[in-house]
Amino acid sequence: MAHPRLIDVTRLFARVGVTVFGGGDPTIAILQREFYRRSWLSPEKFAIAFGLARLTPGTNVLAFCAASGWYILGIAGALAAVLAITIPASVLVVWLTSAYDLTAHNRLALSIANALLAAAVGTMIGAALLLVRTQCKPGRWLRPVAISLGAFLLAYAARLTPLQVIGVATVVGFFWVEQ
Amino acid sequence: MNLVVLYLLLVKATLTSFSGLASLPMVRNDFVVRRHVLTDRQLNTAVAAGRIGPGPLGIYVVSVGFLVDGAPGAAAGWLAMITPAFLIIPMLRFLGARAEHRRARAIARAVLFAGAGLMASAAVPLARDAITNPLSLGIFAVSFLLIAGARVDSLWVMLGAALVGVAAFQF
Repeated sequence: MAHPRLIDVTRLFARVGVTVFGGGDPTIAILQREFYRRSWLSPEKFAIAFGLARLTPGTNVLAFCAASGWYILGIAGALAAVLAITIPASVLVVWLTSAYDLTAHNRLALSIANALLAAAVGTMIGAALLLVRTQCKPGRWLRPVAISLGAFLLAYAARLTPLQVIGVATVVGFFWVEQ
Repeated sequence: MNLVVLYLLLVKATLTSFSGLASLPMVRNDFVVRRHVLTDRQLNTAVAAGRIGPGPLGIYVVSVGFLVDGAPGAAAGWLAMITPAFLIIPMLRFLGARAEHRRARAIARAVLFAGAGLMASAAVPLARDAITNPLSLGIFAVSFLLIAGARVDSLWVMLGAALVGVAAFQF
């Protein structure tokens, strides 16, 4: 794994904080993809951060940021990640609150927000596919494909909560260990 | 309203919820119903401002703090939003020593794959809102291909989408 500088970590989280629309899931998808691209976080550590963030009270994506920042650069990384992803976005939300009546009906702002939301959805599905694809090795593709497809069906068709899906995955992971 | 009280009320709401907007009923009860420092219309504005901007949905508590007490209130809201996130670090420290065990790694990888499925399922309702015409379908498809198939920095994907949004408005 690469060892980035604190400024690089801060820059990535700040950038994602102000450019990703649609809430926590697209944010995690983008971060996962950027960690993979930069070799900052192993898939196992990403999984632990992702799973535990769902068990942490409050806004899940911020717990995920604290965890991934902590894995990358310790306490300084956790603080940098959470501060960088929230401060610029908070300044923006305060401005949006004070100018709400102007911005909510501004057609240019809506056009940009709609385009960014469509890109966020493409990013989420692309990142999910990339995540599974990079873990599939010749002859060892069944477990990644079966578990990810099963999780999708449990969440989408059976309407289980993310926490319940992670619980099921934990049980499956405990009993289904690849040789 | 006293800033410490504002922070404590908001942190109570964030600490007792497990997703961005799940704290909303408690915030409404404390600020609108019991203390009358916000109206329902203001609370709706806070939620809407949080939704139209970037960042997590839980960011609306910053907006709530701002509407209650201006910039200092926004700072209290921000602090209440980020406080629970750091609870994950003691959990990571506890797990750290056990993470290299073979079965623990198998569980972590299963959670990783489940995460991919969860991301895809969370994208479906968002897609219903976001993909409403051929242009948004095109933005979705190009973003998907660039993220899944190329090593393009996601910043360029987002900036490109924003530019298409500007162009769509112009034409």
